[in-house]
Amino acid sequence: MKLAHYGLGEMPVFVVDQSRCIGCEACVQACAECGTHRGRSLIHLDRIDRATTTQTAPMVCMHCVDPTCAEVCPADAIKQTEAGVVQSSLKPRCIGCSNCVLACPFGVPKYVAEFDQMMKCDMCQDRTSEGYAPMCASVCPSEALWYGTKDEFRERRTGALIREYRFGSQQVRTKVYTVIDDMAEGPIDVVTGQQRSWLDDPFGLEEAET
Amino acid sequence: MRGAMVANVSSADNRLDRRGLTWGLVGVAVVIALTFIGSDRLVWFDAALTGYLFGVIFSVFGILYRYSVWLRRPPTKMLHRRGWDAFRQRKARNAAALPSLVATNILAQSFIRRRSFARWVAHQLVFWGCILAGLVTIPLTLGLLHFESVGQQADHYQVYLSRVGTLKFDAPSIFGWLMFHALDISAVLVLGGVFIFLRRRLRDPGAMAVERSGDFLALAGLFAVSVTGLMLTVSSIWLHGQYYSALNTIHALTVILGLAYIPFGKLFHIFQRPGNLGVAYYKQANEEGPAQECRRCGEPFASVQQISDLKEILPQLGFDYSIEGGGHYQETCPRCRRAQVTLAQSVRVGGFG
Repeated sequence: MKLAHYGLGEMPVFVVDQSRCIGCEACVQACAECGTHRGRSLIHLDRIDRATTTQTAPMVCMHCVDPTCAEVCPADAIKQTEAGVVQSSLKPRCIGCSNCVLACPFGVPKYVAEFDQMMKCDMCQDRTSEGYAPMCASVCPSEALWYGTKDEFRERRTGALIREYRFGSQQVRTKVYTVIDDMAEGPIDVVTGQQRSWLDDPFGLEEAET
Repeated sequence: MRGAMVANVSSADNRLDRRGLTWGLVGVAVVIALTFIGSDRLVWFDAALTGYLFGVIFSVFGILYRYSVWLRRPPTKMLHRRGWDAFRQRKARNAAALPSLVATNILAQSFIRRRSFARWVAHQLVFWGCILAGLVTIPLTLGLLHFESVGQQADHYQVYLSRVGTLKFDAPSIFGWLMFHALDISAVLVLGGVFIFLRRRLRDPGAMAVERSGDFLALAGLFAVSVTGLMLTVSSIWLHGQYYSALNTIHALTVILGLAYIPFGKLFHIFQRPGNLGVAYYKQANEEGPAQECRRCGEPFASVQQISDLKEILPQLGFDYSIEGGGHYQETCPRCRRAQVTLAQSVRVGGFG
């Protein structure tokens, strides 16, 4: 991965591959260093269920092409930049109703009671607008959070990039990509898709028993 | 992708909104009637302020027009209705809580202080400066307020509200100075706030990254109105009235443009922000009502009311999060949504790729 900044024509993409996450929390610390929300970490890093899986769940804003959070905002406080970045709520407008927190299909926005305001990841706009990787991607040791061009991805990684999800009847397209093995199955089905990953049985032992 | 049927007020629709137009025209009629009656059939209307009156009329029309359109967006309409419903549910208690809510959320703006002390100071300076300027300028413009000298004493004045004489004061007194320099005081307050805001906007890389053109335009407008207003005082006190006429025209232009900008720019939040009071009542009613349990983990995470409101407005916005076989994705708590996204992704990856 290139550490220098990307030029205008290079069009780097942000990739979140949750299956690679090792739960080290480097991203949580780095996120708090972001210039647009200094001192407050907005990335989510959940442990799903330690008793049944080692999987951890890092979640940044996926920057939906048609953001549900912005549409359900009664104060029209969530805006999208020309580059497709869904910004954190506009401070003068946000009235702290939490509609966005409850409507986001990815569970991303945070309501900060202290400020009576919603805050969320804005893809480190201070960095990405200058061609630098977001803070979380710049420190992730397992490259679960990754920033680079599609060509670089193809050179370094396996799998295909996808940015379509299905939540019940709703299909959602995002600016941020994730990784899957095979595109043939179509969008990632969040609700009815199989909820047991290879990490739960990495050597296929349980599968062999059955 | 979203469905084709979207009930939202379309931004691509350039036709004038009929209801907004009606409310705007009603507002204009009220301002004109207030001016006519309040100035005692224009006897006390100052013709020199006609330009300002047009500015006020345009601003009132724009504010009511935009407010009416804004209020019809499905989520705004729902919250507006629910806020009032919640208020009516326990009228006495909610009415008693109102002064404290207004004092904390609207006047003292303590939520900004918790964000940053400097920003709070800046916002308070601009806020009180604008309130003071509005309280002086609008009644003067509409002819509701005027000053008359008492008898033949040129330095002794009485304040008149329409035809009703109120306070009398000596022009050279402290009160007299405050009365005649109220707009200078408001200009100094506003400028203090503008400079603090500008310092942040020009130096803070984070603020610069998420800057919108409207942020600077609002500050530039406030700066222009304040400085040109102060220049009028400078001209009359220190320059023996030199350039007064030209400065007066420039100041009037900045004020009229500023008034016209209010409904369409960043300053419209002045009228949106009080919606926060309705949210406070809505939240309280929701806390007292039944809690929505997550369809995945079973833990309560929000109110049944707010989730059901979301389920009602989402289809109006063209979203369909219903789940085949029953249920709704919105009944999942945010933590379980993140878990489900992660698990669904990991399952599509065969190994450490």
